[in-house]
Formats: sequence, C-alpha cells, structure tokens
Amino acid sequence: MKKKLFAALCMMVISLVALAGCGGKTGEKNANAGMSGVGSVIIAMDTESEPAAGFDPIMGWAAGEHTHDPLFQSTLLITKDDITIGYDLAKEYTISPDGLTWTFKIRPDVKFTDGKPLTAKDVAFTYNQAMKQATDTDLSMLKSVEAVDDTTAVFHLNTPYSAFAYIAAVVGIVPEHAYNAATYGKNPIGSGRYILKQWDKGQQVIMEANPNYYGEKAKMKQVTIVFMSEAAAYAAAKGGQVDVAYTAPSYTVNPINGYKILAFDSVDIRGINLPCVPAGNKIAARKNGETLPAGNDVTANLAIRQAIARAVDREALVKNVLYGYGSVAYSDSVDEPWENEAMKTTYDPAKAKSILEADGWRLNADGIYEKQGLKAEFDLLYIASNSARTGIAMAVKEMLKEVGIKVNPVGSGWDKIATMAYETPHVFGAGLHSPAGIKSHYYTGKNYASYSNSAVDKHIEAALAATSVEDSYQYWKKAQWDGVSGVTPAADSPWVWLAEIKHIYFAKENLNVIDKKIHPHGYGWTIANNVDQWYWN
Amino acid sequence: MDSQACYSILKYVGKSLIKVISLLIAVSILSFILVSTSPVDPVRAYVGEVGMVNMNAESLARLEAYFGLNTPPAERYWNWFSDFVRGDMGLSLVYRQPVDEVIGVKFMNSLLLMLTAWFFSGILGFILGIIAGLYRGTWIDNLIKGYSLLIASTPTFWLALVLLMVFSVWLQLFPIGLSVPIGMKASEVTILDSIKHLVLPALTLSVIGVANIALHTREKMIDIMVEDYILFARARGKTRFSIIRHHALRNIMLPAITLQFASISEIFGGSVLVEQVFSYPGLGQAAVAAGLSGDAPLLLSIAVISAALVFTGNLIANLLYGFIDPRIRRGNMHG
Repeated sequence: MKKKLFAALCMMVISLVALAGCGGKTGEKNANAGMSGVGSVIIAMDTESEPAAGFDPIMGWAAGEHTHDPLFQSTLLITKDDITIGYDLAKEYTISPDGLTWTFKIRPDVKFTDGKPLTAKDVAFTYNQAMKQATDTDLSMLKSVEAVDDTTAVFHLNTPYSAFAYIAAVVGIVPEHAYNAATYGKNPIGSGRYILKQWDKGQQVIMEANPNYYGEKAKMKQVTIVFMSEAAAYAAAKGGQVDVAYTAPSYTVNPINGYKILAFDSVDIRGINLPCVPAGNKIAARKNGETLPAGNDVTANLAIRQAIARAVDREALVKNVLYGYGSVAYSDSVDEPWENEAMKTTYDPAKAKSILEADGWRLNADGIYEKQGLKAEFDLLYIASNSARTGIAMAVKEMLKEVGIKVNPVGSGWDKIATMAYETPHVFGAGLHSPAGIKSHYYTGKNYASYSNSAVDKHIEAALAATSVEDSYQYWKKAQWDGVSGVTPAADSPWVWLAEIKHIYFAKENLNVIDKKIHPHGYGWTIANNVDQWYWN
Repeated sequence: MDSQACYSILKYVGKSLIKVISLLIAVSILSFILVSTSPVDPVRAYVGEVGMVNMNAESLARLEAYFGLNTPPAERYWNWFSDFVRGDMGLSLVYRQPVDEVIGVKFMNSLLLMLTAWFFSGILGFILGIIAGLYRGTWIDNLIKGYSLLIASTPTFWLALVLLMVFSVWLQLFPIGLSVPIGMKASEVTILDSIKHLVLPALTLSVIGVANIALHTREKMIDIMVEDYILFARARGKTRFSIIRHHALRNIMLPAITLQFASISEIFGGSVLVEQVFSYPGLGQAAVAAGLSGDAPLLLSIAVISAALVFTGNLIANLLYGFIDPRIRRGNMHG
C-alpha cells in the first residue's frame, strides 16, 4: 500500500517536472522566432499606460494628462524635438487677428489604412465628436469646426487660445466613414506610422509599420508593448524577455547584464504650491457648487515664500533622493521655448534667513521663526505611495528646518490631496508639452496657490491672444517675469519648483533608442514617440 | 432515486434560488454604498494630477455628469438595478465599453486560472491529508503537516514572487507573466503556450489552497481511524486501501467537499493578488482597476458575479452532501 502511494506521488512530481520542462523548451524557441531582433522591439510599460478606452483619439487616446504621439493616427501639427510646433497633416495654418478663427490647410496626399483619402471633413468630424465627449482632453475653447473644402478646415474658438497648437499636436484624426464609437478604440483606422495588429487586453499591443505611410519609412517594423507592474518589468528584463523596460531609480542599484540604463530628460517637474492667501478662504472647485477650503496663514507671507525658494538645496535633492536621475529645476518649463531664465535662483540659506528677519520674523526658543505669534510652520502633503515624492517631502523638511521653518510632511493619496492642496502645500508633479501649464499655475482662478496678479494675468491673456504660437512665447515668458513683477523666487514666488525627474529605462545594449524630445509628466507612451526610428546594431 | 427525493432536491434548489437572489441584491446594494461613499473621486482619479490643474471647470463638469456624480445615489442605483435585471450590465465608465464585454474577456482568463488551481489544490490537499492522517506521527505526516502549516501562513503574493523569481528569472522555464506569449500573433498561439503561461499563477494558487484541505482532511482521517468500525474492519484483516475505500472515504469527503467549495471565495481572493504579480489579465485585475477609479457599474457587476460564484459553490457542496451521505438527503426531506 505504502509503495502504491509513493508511486502515485512520484508520478505526480515527474509529470509536473515534465510539464515544466517542455514548457521551457518551447519558450526558448518562441523567443528566437524573430519577435525580438532586427526590425522588431518589445517595450514594457506600466499597466496604467494601457488606454482603457482603446486607441480612439475622440475618447482621449494620446491626449489628456500624459500627451504623446498617437502613432496610429496623424495629427494636424506636431511638437518638434525642441517643443516648438511643426507640421504633420497641416501644410500651414493661420490664426485670425482676433484669435478666434484658425484655418488649417492640409496635405492632399494622405490616405487612411483602408485606402480612403483623409480630407478636411475627417478633421472636422474628429474634433466635433471629441468636443462632445467627456474625456480628459480639454477642448472647451473650441466652438465648432467646419470643412470648407477637401483641404481646408476652419476652427471656431470661444476664446483666443494660441496654445491650441499644442492640442492640435496630440489629437489624432479618425476617418468619418469608418468611425464607430463602440469599436473604433479596439480597431483603429488611421493614417499614422503604425497599424494596430493585435491588442490582448490587459497584456500587450502588437503594432506594425504602416506600409503606405506618407512620411519617413519606419525602421522598426514591429513594435510590441507589454503592460507590467514595475517589479514584473524588472523581472522581465532580467529574464531577457523584453528589450526596453521602464523602471525607477531604486532598481538601477542592481543593473541587469546585457542592458544599459537610459535616462531621458523630461519636463516632469516636482514643485510645491505655496498658497498665497490667508486661511479661511474658499475656492469653487466644482460646477455643482462644491467649495474647498483655500489659503494658508504661513505661506500667505511673501517673505516665507521667497525664503523657501532659496532654502532648498536642489542639488542635494537630485543627488540623494533621485539617485542622480534628475536635475535641478526652477520652473515647470525646463528647456521649453517659453522658459524664463529669471525663474532661476541660488541655494542660499543665509539669504533666506535675512529675508525672514527683514520681514520681522524672529527665532523662538525652538529655533523656529515667529512673527506676531504666528509660527513659521506648515504641513506638506505628498503622495505616500511614491518613493521619490516621499523622499522630497522629507528632505525639504530637513532643509527648511535649517532656516527656521518647520515642515510637517503628511502622506496621503491623490484623491484626498486634490481637495486639501488649496490650503496645504503639496509636492506636485507637473510639466506639459504646452505653455498651458503656466496658465494653470499662475492665472487668477482655480490655481492651487490661489495666486492672483493682474499683471501676470494680462501677460497670459496676451499670450493666448497671440496670432501665432511663436509670437506667444514672449508673453508666456513675461508672465513669469516682465522686469517688474512676476512669479519668480525673487518676486511673488507662489510655487517653488525643485527638480526634474528623469525617466529611466533598461534597454538592451545593442538597441539604439532614439529620443530627442523631452518627455512630459508621466512615463508611458512618450518613450514610443520615436520608436519608428530606433534600430539594432 | 425515487420521485420524492427528486422533489425534495427541487424544493431545496428553489429555496436556494430565492436565497441567492436576495443575497445578490444585498451584495449589490452594499457594494454600491461602498463605492459611493469611498473617498475615490472618479473624476479626480480619471483626470489625474496634471489634468486637475489644467482642465477648466466646464470640462470637469462634463466629466462629473458622465460619471453620474450629479445624480442622487438612490436614483443611480435604481438605474443600474433596473438595467441589470433586464440583462444590461451598463457601460463601464473607464473602459467606455459595455460591462459584459469587459467582464467576458477577463472572466474567461480568470475562470481557467481558478478552475485549474481549484482542481489541483482539492485533489492534492485531499490526498496529502489522507496520507498524513493514515501515517500519523511518522516523518511523512510531519512533512505534510509542516508544509501545510508553513504554506497556510505564507502570503499569496509573496509565494507568487518567489515562484516568479525562481522559475521565470533564474531558471527561465516559464514566462514572466501575461496569459499569451509576448509579441506573438493570436493565430500562432498554441494551447501549450497558454498552459505555459497558466502554470505559475495556477501553481501559486494551488499550493496555497492545498494547506487548508490537507490539514482538515488529516484531522478527520485521524478521528475516523480510531472509530469502532475501522477497528472491526482491521480485525477482519482488510487492507488499508480497502478500509479507506469502503469505510473512510465517504466520511472524510464531507469536510473536504465543504472546504473545497467554500475555498472558491479564497481562490477568488487569492487570484486578485496572483493576477497582479503575474500581470495576468483576469477579473481580479479588473476589480482592482474598477475600485481604484470609481467605476461603479463595472465593480457592481464583478461583485454580483463573484458573489453568485461563491454561492453556487456552496450550493453544489450542499447538494453533493446528499449524494455522498444518504442520511443528509433524508434529513432534507423532512426539513
């Protein structure tokens, strides 16, 4: 009897091992079957990069919080490597003097992957449909779009908005004749560099170069995107199963054989909002009447805000918190055409203290500055699940302690923070491929610092009313500092910008990853912006 | 089986149906209350940090309307409920697709995973429990017991990570995750590929599930082995195998079956964690996504379906009792 049972157990073990063994062999064979190699690449992205609603620009694909090239569709304009505006479908565009009418002339030679030509009617259809949808693509400045003829699309705006060019660089054009809201996202027909071959939901996307693409031919014929958690992506790279894997600074401590670490410049900036009005204010956060508490008695003091901007050792943040995978930042527009040099400041704790003392603040027995009974002390919110933000909050606390300002870091989730951040400073992540960020941080109204300055507002209005995007850059710069007033650390200092976070990836050593365009906030599809130009040695 | 027994079973099933319907309604109401009082604001979750800063009030208001935040909760629930009863599970807010389509894809993946794990954990646990009980106090009993106690206190996700490290990263025998090979066209994927991707997640779930059943079966086995009728059978010179086959099996099966069918809920819960680790696109992942983004229609449907699944498991266990132990069947007739 004993023997029989043992025999049965042994059989089970053997069959399990055999199953494992045969599985292994086919795995190796598959890996060599040309999925990865010349003309083909596998990229691991985080699970949130998978567009839940599919690859439908009308539902927000490629636009919204994390912008990137839509790949399957073409856009009217593009952002060039230096984040100025270039042309894709549009041959030219003109803005009427009042800024309310944009006229795009589009190329006549573009065809969708189903062979039908792309005309201005498709452009009008795409935008008119997208306007009606509730997505995170902000098209509220648009009134309507009409196609005058096959190659002319006229956009009517509610309000002048020169930054619209940056929206036109991410909204992909869909074919009116083949658009079905229920199915398009799964099976997009576009005119872009790639065709969606297969989408295994929750797992991977396989795309192939569009043979009839009107632009430069793609070197990378097949691109596979797999969606994995950070740990799984690391394991997949370690197992050699992906060619490029996104990662975080802490993983780079253990490099992977055969892989190099790539660190891409980004405008993914961390900064802290400093509410400029005293506590007790309210902000109308919602259309349905909900208001949120706004304002902070301590940061409402100009001297405090100016002192904080100088008291943070940004170099040390980059070195110690970001493991060197970052750079110092003084605005959320690093290396973008509208960046203003005047935003820069120096690390100078002595100066920070003298600013406070000149404003009447005196050190108390605990080494904290006080003025008329008000202690220089405030909470600092951060998203607790994010290691870099946690590190930044803790480091800022230590650095400000040196200059007599007490910071109490409070970790929480984004949902809660979004409602608390109007009254409590928060370690924000920001940075766009669009100057619109300047409006959202400094224009009177909804901004998290409750900042309001009529001179700054005027420059922002002038920037939006500019009749060309290139012309608008000077006004965006002036909104930050015009020689008299602005939001620089030496002036109103409503936000303190700290550091740029590099986007880092493991990539196979013999793969040439082309990436000249600065990444915006958020990992994800931006890595694939130039994937058509990548090549293997 | 006579007609009266048949009738009693039908009556039992009918009663159970009424029970399950009221249970499902309760589950859906409770889930709905949880979703609507949860701190997750679907608009903020959907738009994200940069979006909240950059979007203007008009666009946000449109999103609020889309997520139904301006509709009173009772009305929202009633809308969902009346649609659901008519067979329309509604539109997933995040996936922007009918919920049944979203669930359909995920459910098939999960079902395969859970069934495999459930089957293996049941069989293995049962056999190991019998062996341990039979050879109580010997080294093999200690081995099985020790293993079961160790596994019972092992977190599922941790075991999943260990298996992933050993078999995928070091030995490279199995893929890192997903349910299909990376970069392969659907038409080229073979059944063997699918099995290969299933092995590690299913193994994790099975290994974890074994412990409970093995330990309980062992206890029951020990209890039974000292019963008089076993002693009598031994005295008649019956072999161990024959004793188990004819005298013990029916008795030890009852707790095993209860546990096995009750373990559906555990397997379901475990699959959520395992699916996260192995990037396996199942119902668990969908539930996590729905919860984190405040996607009420999707979450409600998943809750109802999983509750139905667990209930069905228990119902099957109750029905099986009747077949295995005639005394229970007769008891039902009168009750």
